[in-house]
Amino acid sequence: MKLAPLFGIEAVAFLLIIAETYLFFNLVVPLGPIPHSLPAYTGLALLKLLLSLGLVALWFVVMIGLTRIYVKARIRNAPKPSS
Amino acid sequence: MPSGLADGGLLLLSFLVPFVSVLLGLPPFLKFLTEKGWTSEDVHKSPPAKVPEPVGPVLFVAALLGEMVVAIGFQSWVPVAITLGAGVAFIIGLADDLFVLGGKTKPLLLVLAGVAFAGVVAFIPDLYQPVITFPILGDTAPHFFLYTLLAVAAFPVVSNAFNMMDAFNGEISWFTLLTALALLVGVSLHAAYTSGFSLARVAATLPLLAVAAGFLLFNRYPSKAFDGDSGSLVFGAMFAGLAVTGGVEIAAIIAIVPAILNSFYTLSSVRGFVERSKMSSRPTYIGDDGLLYPSIEPNAPNTLIRLVLLAGALSEKDLVRDLLYLTLVACIFSVATSVLTWVH
Repeated sequence: MKLAPLFGIEAVAFLLIIAETYLFFNLVVPLGPIPHSLPAYTGLALLKLLLSLGLVALWFVVMIGLTRIYVKARIRNAPKPSS
Repeated sequence: MPSGLADGGLLLLSFLVPFVSVLLGLPPFLKFLTEKGWTSEDVHKSPPAKVPEPVGPVLFVAALLGEMVVAIGFQSWVPVAITLGAGVAFIIGLADDLFVLGGKTKPLLLVLAGVAFAGVVAFIPDLYQPVITFPILGDTAPHFFLYTLLAVAAFPVVSNAFNMMDAFNGEISWFTLLTALALLVGVSLHAAYTSGFSLARVAATLPLLAVAAGFLLFNRYPSKAFDGDSGSLVFGAMFAGLAVTGGVEIAAIIAIVPAILNSFYTLSSVRGFVERSKMSSRPTYIGDDGLLYPSIEPNAPNTLIRLVLLAGALSEKDLVRDLLYLTLVACIFSVATSVLTWVH
């Protein structure tokens, strides 16, 4: 049972990967319609890039947050050699 | 001969040839490495033992022979693409074993493994389908450029993730064996429920499984052989290529979540690609009782090993067992993903 929190982090990582990949391919990529003017086209491309980076950042932030909570909870009682 | 029987025989050969090659090839190669003095200290033993390293060349040749059986037997180019990607990763790994490449150089060079793999698509357009299939939801729209970009990027990411799971006796061989098994289940389900899906793509996963199984007999605690980067990068590159050609990207990513988390934790806590020997603080240390303890220094890298050890000091053997439990859970998630994706 001591590994249960790490199993939990794994499960969250798993669910986030599925949810975010779905959002990326089904919402971010087909975002449109494709504009014909260069400024609008560039703007849409930048928006897609930002949204994609946002999804990656969200995964990182959640993982870092969960790890910090885990480390904070465990570090005070971290095992040390008896001598 | 009935085609089912012939296919079964070829599948068996695709496993047996690399498996037996490892079993027969490693003992003389270990003797050769020992005679030449090519050994590394097993730093988690007290006193440190000398272990022959790297045995990556034998592992790569065994995998190559297995993929050749698949290529000739099933008349498929898929194993050629897998071998090309793995071959480039092997050369980079061997260069790192011999000369120690920089922390940033290795991942950058590994992009070439992805380029070599994806380059084959110029000659074999159906090497991979540029779609991702989701559990329950089905296929995305095809995006050749985007998919190819992601496939190329997968090689350095996955190879490095495997490389970072190569710190303890038996860790990399167990990890590769379990994840390759999850991959095989995924690709087999894909083949069983999709008409026109070549059996060669299933067979191409068997050499990875076989090499990992054979190597485990030498690498398990207490290790008699270390693979070196020339071994772990080949494992990672083959896994990435097989996930792409098998069309099981999501299940494959989920199977290696422990390795992804491990490399992500390490990279984020040391702030970039840093060689293990150049880290300012170690994540773990060995106590006088021979057990492994987590570092409590605030700047210690938050590797997966440290996170496991924060729950209690462990012997090396028990630590690898706990890491296997984490891998096993990820592989169960992966198989569940494959079932939800293909079984309908």
